[in-house]
Amino acid sequence: MDGERFSSSQLNEGLVKRALPRYATLASTITGAPRGSMRVSNLSTEFDYDDTLARCARGEHDALHALYRLEGARMLGVVQRIVKDRGMAEDIVHDAFLNIWQRAATFDAERGNARTWIFSIARHLALNAIRRRDRMPDSAFDPDELEQEDTSRPEGQAFEAFDWQTGQRMDDCLKELEAERRSCVLQAYVNGLSHAEIAEHTGAPLGTVKAWIKRSLVRLRECLA
Amino acid sequence: MNDVNEHDDKHALAGEYVLGTLSFAERQALTARLERDPELARAVRAWEERFFPYNALTEPLPPSDFLWPRIERSLGQSRPRVARPGVWQRLGVWRAAAGLGLAASVVMAALLFLRPAAPATPEYMVVLLAPQNQSAGWVVQAANRRQIELIPLGTFEVPEGKALEFWTKADDWQQPVSLGLVEPGQPIRLDLDDLPPLEDNQLFELTMEDATGSPTGLPTGPIEYIGRAVEI
Repeated sequence: MDGERFSSSQLNEGLVKRALPRYATLASTITGAPRGSMRVSNLSTEFDYDDTLARCARGEHDALHALYRLEGARMLGVVQRIVKDRGMAEDIVHDAFLNIWQRAATFDAERGNARTWIFSIARHLALNAIRRRDRMPDSAFDPDELEQEDTSRPEGQAFEAFDWQTGQRMDDCLKELEAERRSCVLQAYVNGLSHAEIAEHTGAPLGTVKAWIKRSLVRLRECLA
Repeated sequence: MNDVNEHDDKHALAGEYVLGTLSFAERQALTARLERDPELARAVRAWEERFFPYNALTEPLPPSDFLWPRIERSLGQSRPRVARPGVWQRLGVWRAAAGLGLAASVVMAALLFLRPAAPATPEYMVVLLAPQNQSAGWVVQAANRRQIELIPLGTFEVPEGKALEFWTKADDWQQPVSLGLVEPGQPIRLDLDDLPPLEDNQLFELTMEDATGSPTGLPTGPIEYIGRAVEI
């Protein structure tokens, strides 16, 4: 059953084709870098994230609300891409904002960027949720549901179909990786794919995927050093 | 992979945690390690900063109109409110129930963790996570919508003069209701006779309160563990 579900190249082709229109719009947002990232950086200069977190730590609801208005949609996008379940994604964003609220006092601007901190909270909640779900035995799932879940996951292999670059130094290091390995890394980060799912999507053996990712991380770190 | 040394291993592990490829158990183990391994924590933060820009590859998705009101309601729960006497007077009853339920809970825990596909699979399940590090501390499971069991996954240190109080709140309730004090490391089984039947997404949390329970009948202390019911 599993093999049939994942290794069918027909299915994968279908997924990629269906994915293209979506990626086209995504590509225009990103290659035009401009719209997506410029807006972010403009906001970053206007919006004082550190101060907002400090106000959250003092118990000011307005501060959290401002943060939600600014980042809620972006956070939901990131979480939805990982968990692929709208209800669960909203639950996680709810929990993430509650976490941000409760942990705001522990945020230390000396140790990192506030936006990174905020999104990391949401990503780790999302990753915990899907990895917990992965852990459940197959029999706990309705196979039809899984099938549906798979068809709603059009991200496979499509990373080279659009410009994934963000204008950061990391881009250059990712470019030095072979396309297939770079794709594994980005698939994992953006789509929350596990080793096994990446293996299914790429057709590479599980052990190979694990080694690729580990080696890629070592090389990325060397490159950034 | 002889050229990948131990130092690289730590950074690669941190990288895998941030990428998200680790299994649930590996993630839990790493989260627990973060607190006592500052080098690993630094490595995690470094990867988070490196990969953060790639979140821009994802299109924003406007949340439903209900999400912010829901967050705001949850914020309200963690702050002291007007006293509502009578709620926590049930504590004694719950304590008694805790003793009775212990044996059954141990069996259920064994079923849950050793034979997950057993027919006794609960109808609802909640994993209660520590907000600070997202580690799972307790599991609530319910074989039906009237009876729940709270099962510890480990031990938990409660400071002198303090106690863990167990709360629940369904989406459309005005306020959380106390389910009584719980002993760290002890399972507890509760009948929800006085409450509406358990529903999907119902919130459960454990807060740190005075040894005699919250003086207001509502959570006043920090949330130690929190989670929502998922229908299985």
